Amino acid sequence: MIQSHDSLVVQTLGRLVIPVIQLYSVYVLFHSQFGPGGGFVGGVLFGASMVLTLLIFGAGHANGLIEQMAFRADGLGLLLFLGVGTLCIFFGELFFDYAALQLPGFDPASRRSFGIVVTQIGVAMDISVVTVLIFFCLSPELEGSWKNELGA
Amino acid sequence: MNWVLETVLRRPNFLAFILLFLFGLHIMVADKHLIRKLIGMYLVQTGLMLFFITQGVKTGSTVPILLTSELPVQPAAYANPIPAALMLTAIVVGVATLGVAFALVISIYRQYQTLEEDELVRKMQ
Amino acid sequence: MRLNLPALLFVIPFLTAVALPLIGLFRKHWCWSVALASLSMMHVMSLMAFNHTLEMGPIRYPLGGWLPPIGIEWRLDGFSGLAMVLISLVALVAVVYAGPGVRTTLAHKAAHLYTLVMLLISALTGMVMTADLFNLFVFLEVTALTGYALVAVAGGRAMLAAFRYLILGTIGASFYLLGVGYLYAATGTLNMADLAEKLPGLWGSTAVLTGLVFIIIGLGIKMALVPLHGWLPDAYAHAPEAISPLLASLITKVALVALARIMFWILGPDVIWDEVPVMVYLGWIGAIATLAGAFLALSEQNIRRTFAYGGISHVGLVVMGISLGNLTGFAGGIFYLMTDAVMQLGLFFVAGAMASHYGVREVAEVAHLRGRTPWMTAALIVTALSMVGIPPTGGFFGKWYILMGALEMKNYVAVGVIILGTVLTLAYFVRILEKMFVEGSTVTRQDASDLPWEMRFGMGTVTAGLLLFGIFSDPVISFIRTVAAPPGF
Repeated sequence: MIQSHDSLVVQTLGRLVIPVIQLYSVYVLFHSQFGPGGGFVGGVLFGASMVLTLLIFGAGHANGLIEQMAFRADGLGLLLFLGVGTLCIFFGELFFDYAALQLPGFDPASRRSFGIVVTQIGVAMDISVVTVLIFFCLSPELEGSWKNELGA
Repeated sequence: MNWVLETVLRRPNFLAFILLFLFGLHIMVADKHLIRKLIGMYLVQTGLMLFFITQGVKTGSTVPILLTSELPVQPAAYANPIPAALMLTAIVVGVATLGVAFALVISIYRQYQTLEEDELVRKMQ
Repeated sequence: MRLNLPALLFVIPFLTAVALPLIGLFRKHWCWSVALASLSMMHVMSLMAFNHTLEMGPIRYPLGGWLPPIGIEWRLDGFSGLAMVLISLVALVAVVYAGPGVRTTLAHKAAHLYTLVMLLISALTGMVMTADLFNLFVFLEVTALTGYALVAVAGGRAMLAAFRYLILGTIGASFYLLGVGYLYAATGTLNMADLAEKLPGLWGSTAVLTGLVFIIIGLGIKMALVPLHGWLPDAYAHAPEAISPLLASLITKVALVALARIMFWILGPDVIWDEVPVMVYLGWIGAIATLAGAFLALSEQNIRRTFAYGGISHVGLVVMGISLGNLTGFAGGIFYLMTDAVMQLGLFFVAGAMASHYGVREVAEVAHLRGRTPWMTAALIVTALSMVGIPPTGGFFGKWYILMGALEMKNYVAVGVIILGTVLTLAYFVRILEKMFVEGSTVTRQDASDLPWEMRFGMGTVTAGLLLFGIFSDPVISFIRTVAAPPGF
């Protein structure tokens, strides 16, 4: 079990800083078209904030919510990414041609923008899950039920 | 002196890339410790990224983001965004390779308790 | 729907790969069946796509609707359609074979193992179909990453072999990316068709020539062309027995397909022997590789290392074939590439069955297997005949056409190399076969059970496939000459 950090200063600062990091990662993700950023950076920042939570507050924090998400959501973000791309095939256009998504009231340019945002959300989800998984797999304290979950 | 300034230092970004690349390649091949090989690998990839990204820069150019769509676009005023986009993908590939490499290194260490290549080869016989 | 086939061919294995961890959480023993179902669907679709390109010509598929040269383009023509059919069929048979091995030794990792296998197959598909150089780099790296992980699953010595494979593979990919960077700096485009238009004026430019050399070095490391082959024997000898047929038969061959694509479709057959004589030098390197691989196989005691060196030798032979200079040589080389994928599959099937069921890993222990397993013996005999090059197996016809091409170009060095390589291959196969049939009777293992049906199915398919390649060699070769040939030959 990854133990929580004993210093009160670290825990208090963590409580203050981690939500700010997560908000910043969401900002970077949604401004991927108008500034530097995108799914990769947003995902890594979000994953880093979750790793920070694990380091400061220990594993098993909040009923093991982070662990459950990490071990079960492996690949869900990619399913979202590919799902949007394949949906475009079903609507008659080419792979990843977001103009084909049938959304009422949007012109093709806005539909492409929407498609890009959805795929970047999928990418960010996947990368944050993978970051947490890398952290778990490389840590020597992996034992008990999580080891069986991973099949290690 | 003129020769140095004209040929070698004309494109300092390429010079920096060559130094990084060769340094990293030498470490990757010649060093015996597994983690140092990975450091060399990261240097090689960083050098490549420097090479690509500095290709897209023009003198007096600005960030390739359109602020207004009314005025006609002058492509010469913006830096080339394609190499930067390519390198975003390459960075992710590099991170994934490092992840796999570290997983391998950790497994090797857990089983053999050493990370020097000579000792590993000896222990595996 | 037919026009969307390139994307669907990539999406089906990739979606399976992404969905398998979720399936593995609920029902672990469904993973193999799901992988087989998606591979069969992919094979049927590749046959449909191939048929479509035969009737209506190549499919040019711009991803996302963005037209080249700005967008990324995928192209499914005769050459890549043929490669797709080969990849999907070989992958299907290899995954069928892998079923019992994974179930016995690696069952707790089954979901993640099949995820890696499906990712490997989808990345190979992308590598064959793409018409954009940077997209090729991305798929090259995904292939390599899944390859490293699949080699390391066996644990123990396989992990160091996988680490060395990782270091060398990353050097190769970095050189490839460097070459692409030089070409991009010189021409400003990454699309293959656009490069083919822009390059002809630039042959004097050092940037272009250096870029081409770096691309060849990078792909050479990936396909284990001597002297860049150092990673292959260790990696394939220590990979898990159920997975090594898939790795050995596909990874180096698809890198060869990528090299052929770049050399013949971007540079064009009129340039690569005169102005930019890369093919002349590659011919020499291929000749050296053929002989070196066969020589190195002679002294090996481990069965899988012997077969790995045989694969290295044949990669050299294919490179020599396509660099001969005429269409016969090219067609013979590509035919031999396809046959070699099936041959490597068969060899590693046999070696895996020997190791996992009878515990035979060294050549000296092969004597224990006499009279036990008709399927495995038949597969070994037919594959050995094909590797050496004896009719009516496919290997003979491949070497025959390369020989015809060499004689047409009056390249007697290539003729000598082929004959010498055949003799050397015969030498190291005779060692194994002699231990199996000729030596005086020693202890035979009475306690080993019969091989599972999946392994027998795999070996039977390989035997039938090699004989079919031999019997139907003429249609296949004439087909390669007409539909799958590069323009300008």
